[in-house]
Amino acid sequence: MSYEKPLPIIDEDNAPYWEYAREHQLRMQKCAGCGHIRFPVSLVCPRCHSLETEWTKLSGKGKVYSYVIYHQAYHPAYKDDIPYAVAIIQLKEGPRMESNITDCHMEDIEIGMPVELYFDDVTGDVSLPKFRLGEGG
Amino acid sequence: MESMKDKAAIVGVGYTPQGKVPGRSSMSFHIEAARNAIEDAGLKIGQVDGLLMQPPMAAIGDPMVAPAYLAQKLGLRVRFMAAHDVWGASAGCMAQHAAWAVVHELADYVVCTYGENALSGTSEYGAALNGGIEYGMFGAVAGYALAARRGIYEFGAGPETWKEIAVAARKWANLNPAARYHDRPMSYEDYYNSRLIVDPFRLFDICLISDGGRAFIVTTAERARDCKKKPVYIMGMGQDHSATNAPQATHLAGPIGAKVSGEEAYKMAGVTRKDIDACEIYDCFTYTVELTLAGYGFFAPGEGKDFLKAERLAPGGDFPVNTSGGQLSEAYFQGFTALTEAIVQLRGEAGKRQLGAVTKTREPEIIMVSHNGGVLQTHSTLILRR
Repeated sequence: MSYEKPLPIIDEDNAPYWEYAREHQLRMQKCAGCGHIRFPVSLVCPRCHSLETEWTKLSGKGKVYSYVIYHQAYHPAYKDDIPYAVAIIQLKEGPRMESNITDCHMEDIEIGMPVELYFDDVTGDVSLPKFRLGEGG
Repeated sequence: MESMKDKAAIVGVGYTPQGKVPGRSSMSFHIEAARNAIEDAGLKIGQVDGLLMQPPMAAIGDPMVAPAYLAQKLGLRVRFMAAHDVWGASAGCMAQHAAWAVVHELADYVVCTYGENALSGTSEYGAALNGGIEYGMFGAVAGYALAARRGIYEFGAGPETWKEIAVAARKWANLNPAARYHDRPMSYEDYYNSRLIVDPFRLFDICLISDGGRAFIVTTAERARDCKKKPVYIMGMGQDHSATNAPQATHLAGPIGAKVSGEEAYKMAGVTRKDIDACEIYDCFTYTVELTLAGYGFFAPGEGKDFLKAERLAPGGDFPVNTSGGQLSEAYFQGFTALTEAIVQLRGEAGKRQLGAVTKTREPEIIMVSHNGGVLQTHSTLILRR
């Protein structure tokens, strides 16, 4: 069955992020100047404006910074998913990212609880980094 | 920096049919609102030589919904013109930029417009606001609900406070014939019974989506005295744009841009929070009102629960907020709702909802107006007086 949900908007800037995700690696830009790991993707480091970066691999361990539960399907493909959780994940290495928390009862989610990364291969070309309750960081 | 206190004034406001108004383009609301504002100010078409427009969400980048096209349709030849988009803070920021423009003789009269067929047209309000579509993060509600959850966690925000904001807005809307919910009262029970949309937000924590437009005109204080209606002076103003998107933001539980821009505006106006007679607060969600009023120093962080009581915020209360019903219960116009309401109140034209004797509230001399956009990413403060 084809995947009907909206896919990430992949452009010239964030293409490497999604290419690594397809290989099941969570990598973000680490500034070669000051060491700051930034997200989302940008040409320069927002702290020191250095142009030099490397794509550093993250552990995938983190904690729930905030979360919400969708009870309304804003898109027909989400009709069977509600209620579903969207969360901000505080990653162990510093940056925060939006994602889903899956495979648990929605009422069990709490701010501060540890989560672990997995990849959801939604199409042949796109894998989404998502999170489950876990050991955390 | 020179003080802008009382140097510019708002002299005209324009309304349009609003609510559900099918069969109308977004541009048509811009045109009608601007036309009515020019008439309200008693200006001739040829006198208006400045134009700022906030493009509708569904048409950003569309040349047919651009400032030059609007000027053409209104028969204006202007010397100051721009599309202005800092999301929901645009109305307040436009007023500030227009004020600077007239004081520095870039223009004599600047018309500032908004219009969108957001309810009946091809609205983008259910789309991803800035990122996260692949995770089902639809609508502005995603980021604000994430912020609100953080507010619950950090300082005890929540439905107990939000219900007061929602019910008070509804009581004002019940006095406003143009409001979406004019004929429909709301009890605390109604609030709690409204369905969860994106937990922690219920339906009644979330603003309306409306068809319609609004416009206002800014000129110098000196020219304002010759206009048809009583001027409303810009006493104080400020902006603070934290810019960072919700997942990376550190301000989800405050302080938001209200704090810095509010302090700037108080300082310019030479007033304190005790001098404010009413507040018109950008209310995309109930929680936004709580964070904004905290930022303006009306209560300490975390004490909104004790301060924000419907009987204080509603008609008859000692701290009136969002006297048209706001964007929760009147109509959503990207913050033009709040600004135009402040003008109408300070002129004494608000009918049954008029502050003062009519609603057993303080006579309005000074009103504070906030605008906020993105997910708490842009913020404008205006302090207006009659």
